[in-house]
Amino acid sequence: MSEDKLNKNDYSPKLEITRRGFLSLIGLGFLGVIGSLVLQGFSAVRSIIPNVLYEPPKKFKVGPPSRFSEGATFLPERLFIINNNNEFHAISAICTHLGCTVNLAQYSPPKTYISRRTGKTVDETFEFHCPCHGSKYRENGNVYAGPAPLPLPWYELSLAPDGQIVVNTDKIVDHNFRLKL
Amino acid sequence: MIEKLRKLKKQLTWTYVPETEREASDAVVRNFVLHWFPSKVTSKSLSFLYTLELGTISILLFAILLITGVLLMFMYVPSVGQAYWGVKDIEYVVSFGPFIRGIHRIAASLMVAVVFLHMMRVFLTGAYKKGGKAIGSFRPLNWWIGLTLLLVTMLLSYTGYLLPWDQLAVWAVTIGMNIAKSAPFIGEKIAFLLRGGTIIDQNTLLRWYVAHVVLLPLFGVILIVWHMWRIRKDGGLGSVESLAEERIVKDKIVQKGKTYSLMGIVTGATPAIISHNVQGDTYFSSPQLTRRILIVFTISAVILLGIAFIYKAPLEAPASMIIPPNPAKAPWYFLWLQELVADTTIRIGSFTISGGFVGGILVPGVLILAAVLWPFLDKSGPEAIGVWFHKNRRLQNTVFILTVLVIIALIFVGSDMRGPYWKLYMPWQTWPKTPTKF
Ligand code: FES
Repeated sequence: MSEDKLNKNDYSPKLEITRRGFLSLIGLGFLGVIGSLVLQGFSAVRSIIPNVLYEPPKKFKVGPPSRFSEGATFLPERLFIINNNNEFHAISAICTHLGCTVNLAQYSPPKTYISRRTGKTVDETFEFHCPCHGSKYRENGNVYAGPAPLPLPWYELSLAPDGQIVVNTDKIVDHNFRLKL
Repeated sequence: MIEKLRKLKKQLTWTYVPETEREASDAVVRNFVLHWFPSKVTSKSLSFLYTLELGTISILLFAILLITGVLLMFMYVPSVGQAYWGVKDIEYVVSFGPFIRGIHRIAASLMVAVVFLHMMRVFLTGAYKKGGKAIGSFRPLNWWIGLTLLLVTMLLSYTGYLLPWDQLAVWAVTIGMNIAKSAPFIGEKIAFLLRGGTIIDQNTLLRWYVAHVVLLPLFGVILIVWHMWRIRKDGGLGSVESLAEERIVKDKIVQKGKTYSLMGIVTGATPAIISHNVQGDTYFSSPQLTRRILIVFTISAVILLGIAFIYKAPLEAPASMIIPPNPAKAPWYFLWLQELVADTTIRIGSFTISGGFVGGILVPGVLILAAVLWPFLDKSGPEAIGVWFHKNRRLQNTVFILTVLVIIALIFVGSDMRGPYWKLYMPWQTWPKTPTKF
């Protein structure tokens, strides 16, 4: 930089500002403040919505079919595997009312009831009872008493190459589903 | 020697004795602790029977909760693996641990009760009504702050309830999250945010811990400060308005018609005009009000300590998602909601609305909305501000009390008449296996 430029006293004309310029500057500054607040608020909220979850998988092996004797078996993953003459299906143990774990109620001799839909008599060896607000579910997961709004969902089952049964709790299947061996 | 002691005593104690009225009111303004009191209060505001001191007691309880809470934070780790054992340690190996936890727990329960009673007091005295005479007076605002404080208090209790990560905790949070989930459209998103994932786990505990020890108390402190400041802004307690009204009628005081308006920012009469009406009925805050508050503080603190000596804070078995307690009951102040969610599933043909939505969101939502809108629905005039059971508010007071009675009845049914599988038992029947009562 040359000497004369350094010594030159040239700051005053640049600072002159018109009223319009001043107002629009204030407007811009105001926008900036609002914008940064919105951005910070958004990032604060967004940051607490997790992007990664370290949760147990939704699809897992539960062991060979021989592990499950005739009837319903409870698994700590909160589901029942039901073995009916070597045909398997899985019912969730999570009450559809407010999420308590339902208990297995076994009946021997079987309990008989008349189906409301078909009018036929049905024999049941077990039922599911919720301890929290007393919802009661039939063998197939349908609600017949208590506040639960929906039947217990059935999960998809498949067979892994190593012969173990695989449950996928992300896939809900209908009541015709059976895993035949 | 004696001279020296006397001098020392003088240095250590507050010996200030105001000589004039001016000095006395100055003292309030100048003193750091006292400056948030008004310099003068009316006899009616001082009356124990008007306020029942419920607000003062809730602030004391809040302070005690902050202190014991910080102490407990030294011994508690918010991790799924350690939380329960930390609390167990507090109960069995920490010196005075059970005592500190007991105070914290009982003060929390009492605070929910006292804050609720305080709200009842404000409703029944009509102290939330608009139409006050002081500048900037708008009592409904303080009613709303108070409602928020009630919700904050309940949330603080709920979040605190989860921290021990015992059976009660996880099932309370399970039920709570499922209620949140049953909200239409956004329910699942909110539940996800509150759980910090799709299942109840470490993320959930940490979230609720932060809410319990940082967010909610901070929010609470800010609201309390605002709440207290609003009382001054509204020209004092509601009873001041009724006192002023009374004076105008009885002593035939001509109310100054003068209205100050400060550049269009504020309108209405000044607070000075109100206090002008009630002159001769006012006392200096120091010592009249301060003395009363000290007495209330001392008595409530003694009672609280007394209860904490005999009361033992419960701790259930460690959390297990596999076996819920039978039945899993919410803390008492949520038990009426639990009773509602258990009874309100609506079935119309094949169409079902979950009780979680009706009892957990719809009913409380309607109640809160009604409370928020009430200052506008209340058509009684300003003469009903600050008077217990004013005759113009008979109907609303009755409805309010009935609602409260229904809630209390539901709490009773939930806590004392619900056995395993949420079966109904009459009070004289015994349960097969008694679950813990709260
Ligand atoms: S959670 Fe099962 S009945 Fe309420």
